[in-house]
Amino acid sequence: MESLHPRIRLLWIAQAAILAIILGIVLAAIDPWLLEIPTVAQVGVVIVGIALGLAYAVRLYQVWQFELQPDALYLERGVITFVETAVPFVRVQHVDTQFGPIERALGLSSVVVYTAGSRNADVRIPGLTPDRARELQDTLRDLAVESEADDAV
Amino acid sequence: MAPTMNRLHPLSAVTYALQYGFLWLWIPVVLLLVLAGAFDPISGAWVPFAAPFGFLAGVAYGIAYYYRFGYEVTDDTVDVSSGVFARRSREIPYGRIQNVDIRQGVLQRVLDLAIVSIETAGGGASEATLNFVSEAEATRLQREIRRRTAAARERRRAEKKGTTGGVDTDTDTETETENEVDDTASDADADTTSAPPDASRQPDSRERRGQRDQRDQRDQGQPDEPDQREQDDRWDHPLESGPDPADEPDAEPAAEAGVETDHDRLGPQPVDAVDDDEYDTFDEFDDGDGFDEHADRDDRDEFDEFGQPQKQPLFDLQARELLLYSFTSIRAAAIAGVLFVFFLGTDLVFDYLLTVAQPVGGPEDLGTGTPTNYGILTIVSLLNGIVITYVLSVAYTFATYYDFRLGRVDEDFVYERGLLQRYSGSIPAEKVQSVTVTDNPLQRLIGYAGLWVETAGYGPESNGGSQSAVPLAEKARVYTFTENLTGVETPKFEQLPELARRRYLARYSIIAGVIVAIAFGITQVTVLERWYLAAVVFAAVPPAAHLRYVNLGYYVGEDHLVVRRGFWKRQTTVIPYYRIQTVSTRRSIFQRRLGLASLVIDTASSRTMVRGTPTIYDEELGDARDVHGECRERLQTALRERAESDDLGVSVDFT
Repeated sequence: MESLHPRIRLLWIAQAAILAIILGIVLAAIDPWLLEIPTVAQVGVVIVGIALGLAYAVRLYQVWQFELQPDALYLERGVITFVETAVPFVRVQHVDTQFGPIERALGLSSVVVYTAGSRNADVRIPGLTPDRARELQDTLRDLAVESEADDAV
Repeated sequence: MAPTMNRLHPLSAVTYALQYGFLWLWIPVVLLLVLAGAFDPISGAWVPFAAPFGFLAGVAYGIAYYYRFGYEVTDDTVDVSSGVFARRSREIPYGRIQNVDIRQGVLQRVLDLAIVSIETAGGGASEATLNFVSEAEATRLQREIRRRTAAARERRRAEKKGTTGGVDTDTDTETETENEVDDTASDADADTTSAPPDASRQPDSRERRGQRDQRDQRDQGQPDEPDQREQDDRWDHPLESGPDPADEPDAEPAAEAGVETDHDRLGPQPVDAVDDDEYDTFDEFDDGDGFDEHADRDDRDEFDEFGQPQKQPLFDLQARELLLYSFTSIRAAAIAGVLFVFFLGTDLVFDYLLTVAQPVGGPEDLGTGTPTNYGILTIVSLLNGIVITYVLSVAYTFATYYDFRLGRVDEDFVYERGLLQRYSGSIPAEKVQSVTVTDNPLQRLIGYAGLWVETAGYGPESNGGSQSAVPLAEKARVYTFTENLTGVETPKFEQLPELARRRYLARYSIIAGVIVAIAFGITQVTVLERWYLAAVVFAAVPPAAHLRYVNLGYYVGEDHLVVRRGFWKRQTTVIPYYRIQTVSTRRSIFQRRLGLASLVIDTASSRTMVRGTPTIYDEELGDARDVHGECRERLQTALRERAESDDLGVSVDFT
């Protein structure tokens, strides 16, 4: 099983921190308007949010694993709900590599695998180095072509 | 636009012109009003002059749109080009078409018009909508597209045969053998007066089966399968290990009786009270001699004098079934409709409710009254709401499924239905992703169920590519249909571990606790007291947990996975392994504590967006992992097998 790049934790922590800060700003905006929220509570919420995000990121990194098995791409992930997914190569419609602004700053990249199944539940492997992402994309594409079935849908 | 392209019906020029006319009318009006506010020289008084200008421009655009819209049915694709300024040419390969639907509203039926939509698996909307063509053209298109799709399919198979070679996959042999087997089936159906045919025919078909054992697994559900009632019981009572010996003696007559009802149904004219003449336009390919063909089918009889495949009836919804279906199903649309009316005319609705409640002790008006008055008003209003919603729902279902008919043409299912608005569509059998039997508590009580086929396309009512094949029929028949259609053997459902029931008990207790807490909160801010009365909801917890538990089950079959779930709208989904897209084992923190896991089996069926992906809930982790592995393995096996044969996956003659 392959783990993600350790730097992915920074990405997740950054995302959690951004969320926590936005929440803090919202609280600060509500403060004079609707009800009084002590400054301590506001700062506290932000700090707790960041701490939770930190713990979550560390744990998620520990459990996130994936593997190319003979017939399928296999992934394990999830902190609250632990999910083991198998994506048979024959079902791969197309494969993307993507990276957002924070990912780019951290030198990371994601591989997104699309199937014809439920369109929102596509499979994303984050936290790969750009080289590894491209390599994985190529491998998946080759495996998908190799095992192509003409009646996927 | 290529000169060979077809135009829409001329009347659609009129509708497009009016549509764009009234839409564009607003552009100069809004523009003027905005500009008049910003600049002095422009006056809002110019609106009466600007509006007609906008309308005329819209009319011109609509007419231009009509002239610039073309469609064509070519050898490989359906081509549609459209757009006045920005042109779009779309080519849809036949191999990708999921279904072709025809829709007719009331006005369109008067004017002999129809809307044709062509669906593929991609995107969220129809790939091509022809709005409008004449009714005859719509039928012609549907037929033509079906014919060409079939031809494309044949070509693909021929190619595949060329590449794999050697294996006994000759199409002709396949069809012939299948038809022979069907013959026995149909003979058995039709020939109920003569001696039971099974004795003489069985060895025959067995022999044939020996030659192609793979494909023929599915035919076991056909004539010589012993007892429909027995199957029915086995689908519903998973824990019974074997058939009830008391049922054994009347096994043969029961089977005969079962098929005899089919026989009635397949008569040349529907036997129920439906007035055929009223819909004669839709009977065009219902040539009246359907039954004879069905009973005595061979290659020659499947085609008319022009070499076109003919429609063979599979299932007609009888008046009795239609009424039962209407009265036993609740439509979300009806609830939405009632809520809509409520918000539209709140005052009127309140007046009405007050008037109704007054004689039985409701308040004089909303302002005055004792708590008892208000209590009575609330109860009466609730009853009112329920009754009205129910009546609407019954009417809606009745109008939607009035005169429902399912038939087959070659390897496609074709259906039509509707009282005011007529729908008709075709679904290629090879596009069926999964098959679901649905029933609600009422339908289970009277022993009925419905059968739905799911594709990756989008249906006319945006019901997520799910099409009713049999809206409602006796469950024994529905189960037999399911077995014939998919070739699944009678499932022996696995019961989930006791722990699962405990889990639901805990879950519903928490929900009940929340309800009591809310009641407590309400007593704190209103005049109401005795919040602890809300604790009666706890009485519902054990039955709720039990009902959820007993309605869960799954069966790992030879070629199919069967997943059952839900109490209010119970769904039993039959998923062929070769349709599996992804498999996931999920464990929430609660499940991990109990050592349970849920298995999510994703298919390309777009119904899963609406109804949720088929899931085996709360199985023991080890078993869930086993099923997970099994699904993956059998997908690979099924794909290998299918590469070697041109198995359709479903059998079109399932009734």
